Amino acid sequence: MGYPYSHEKEVPILSKHFGDPQARTLKGWKSRGGYEALEKALAMSPEEVVEVVKASGLRGRGGAGFPTGLKWSFMPKDRSRPHYLLCNADESEPGTFKDRELLRWVPHLLIEGCLIGAYAMGAEHVYIYCRGEFFEANQVLAKAVDDAYEAGIAGEDVLGSGHKIEITVHAGAGAYICGEETGLMNSLEGRRGEPRIKPPFPAAVGAFGMPTTINNVETLCAIPPIVANGGEWYRQWGTEKSPGTKLFCVSGHVRRPGNYELPLGFPLKDLIYDVCGGIVEDRALKAVIPGGSSVPLLSAEEVEDCTLDYEGVVEAGSMLGCASVIVMDETTDIVHQVMRMAAFYAHESCGQCTPCREGTAWVTTILKRIEDGRGTEEDLDVLVQLTDQMTGTTICVLSDSVAAPVQSSIQKFREEYLALIRRGERVGVA
Amino acid sequence: MSEAPFKNPGWAGNVGEYDLTEEQVRGLDFVGIPPLEGTHPASVAAYPYMLEEKDPEAHLFEGPYETRFEKILTRYPTRQAALLPVLNLAQEVRGHVSPETMDRVAELLELSAAYVRGVATFYTMYNKRPVGRHLVQVCTNISCNLCGAEEVLEAFLEHAGAEIGETTADGAFTVIEAECLAGCGFPTCVQINSRYYENVTVEEVPRILEHLETSRGSALEDGIDGARPTAERGES
Repeated sequence: MGYPYSHEKEVPILSKHFGDPQARTLKGWKSRGGYEALEKALAMSPEEVVEVVKASGLRGRGGAGFPTGLKWSFMPKDRSRPHYLLCNADESEPGTFKDRELLRWVPHLLIEGCLIGAYAMGAEHVYIYCRGEFFEANQVLAKAVDDAYEAGIAGEDVLGSGHKIEITVHAGAGAYICGEETGLMNSLEGRRGEPRIKPPFPAAVGAFGMPTTINNVETLCAIPPIVANGGEWYRQWGTEKSPGTKLFCVSGHVRRPGNYELPLGFPLKDLIYDVCGGIVEDRALKAVIPGGSSVPLLSAEEVEDCTLDYEGVVEAGSMLGCASVIVMDETTDIVHQVMRMAAFYAHESCGQCTPCREGTAWVTTILKRIEDGRGTEEDLDVLVQLTDQMTGTTICVLSDSVAAPVQSSIQKFREEYLALIRRGERVGVA
Repeated sequence: MSEAPFKNPGWAGNVGEYDLTEEQVRGLDFVGIPPLEGTHPASVAAYPYMLEEKDPEAHLFEGPYETRFEKILTRYPTRQAALLPVLNLAQEVRGHVSPETMDRVAELLELSAAYVRGVATFYTMYNKRPVGRHLVQVCTNISCNLCGAEEVLEAFLEHAGAEIGETTADGAFTVIEAECLAGCGFPTCVQINSRYYENVTVEEVPRILEHLETSRGSALEDGIDGARPTAERGES
């Protein structure tokens, strides 16, 4: 069930025990069927586990949507070197707040998913890279890991199976870029969190130079129910290409913001007006960011027929990302919000690549100038040209991420920019 | 919508439809107060505390902190990989990470001083200079911004009597602007020391600041970020 609100249209699988404090404890978790999926997985061969995940069609929930089973199958079978599984719990995409709820309500679900994943890939050590800011959630996870060790669920001999799987909870230190998988690996190794050039891909040369797979918290949390019930079971929800359920993080101008677990393919309009109770004070909708601040804005018109699956959102003109739906009503000052997002990327750019280091700062400067009423129409062309040059020219996609809101807002809300430029004042803001 | 009793300023549990106590929402009853030396080595790198009391001259590391340091080292294939957790630990003890602290950590981990400075300055959670007893970090990123975060930031600055990034004369508060804290459904989200204050409105700011200073040092009233953790963990 969603937290802090639930809705009858939800399909609670991962979020089944949100708001249930007993589910955090090992005893409570076991009485809710916890660790049965791990036992089942340990009785299967690792290859069979990967096949189940492949059959489910589960796609990575961190934003890219890459098929999880396929990703797992890239790990080399040669077990002479250590293999690692990294769990990406460095949730920091603006608009995203699902992983914190998973960590603090169902820590054992994540631990179980990590252990199943590690078993399937032959990983001997799982590092859960948590956001340093998540002090409380990390403490809950840490206590659950302690309990799992004490009960012989993690460690030298997982549930008496003879398999050794270590888990380490590792707190980061505040850097958005460490949510990028190769930046995360560098950070884990005690380096600056600067992304690496791919190839080599992590499955070949990852953390500490060893074969590594990085999965999002939500992805790993989906594993135990899939293993327990089978791949086909998971496909009863969602679409052919985007099966299953997803946590949708809804924020901004809605009456009931929060996390809601819904089948992929759910209509965006219903999410806003039905599940989230509509827009505060019944104001009109202006724009929606459907997948966190790194994806293009959708205009109110584009929201109409948009369905929330990986393909549906692309068709509507944006991306699903990590399903972080940011709702903006008619009072929203688009230029200011885009400037704020650009300032975020300028702050978080790791500085390795020139187009990003320079570009994010210049985009922010130009947007601030426009906001102050000192912009020119030519500035809009410069912004488009500049963000074009920032797309596909850098090691990671942080640079591309600033282009998405800038270009889409200029295209869809050009009038708001022009009004500021022409009269030095905001229009279109109710 | 807000049927649950209002218990504590900025607590996210006071919205929504779940009938839960603050301890249950935050998991305090489950976690208890972990000992200074940590518990299982698997979990000792899970969190940096941000404490009110700081000792910038404290030795790195001694007593229970030395135990935790040793436990951290057992979890990674290289000493270098322990760098972030060890810097976290150093900040927990000293309150900020000065150049001298970075040099000491370099020594402990057999890394060059320049390397450690390069890494430490990359991450925003390492305070490069001393901060107040309460480090107030107000998220002004998009979701909070849409719901009035800039006014909340202004209110914190005004009521704390602080300039942004500066510490008040009495050493109580440092107020800074933060990037997304992943509490987007609970705007405005504010991190004060280790704790999140959620759904913070301009009106609540004076109460929160007052609460912080009056409950100082009381682990019971202020929860996990209020005092040095010394008590035993709760039963699970």
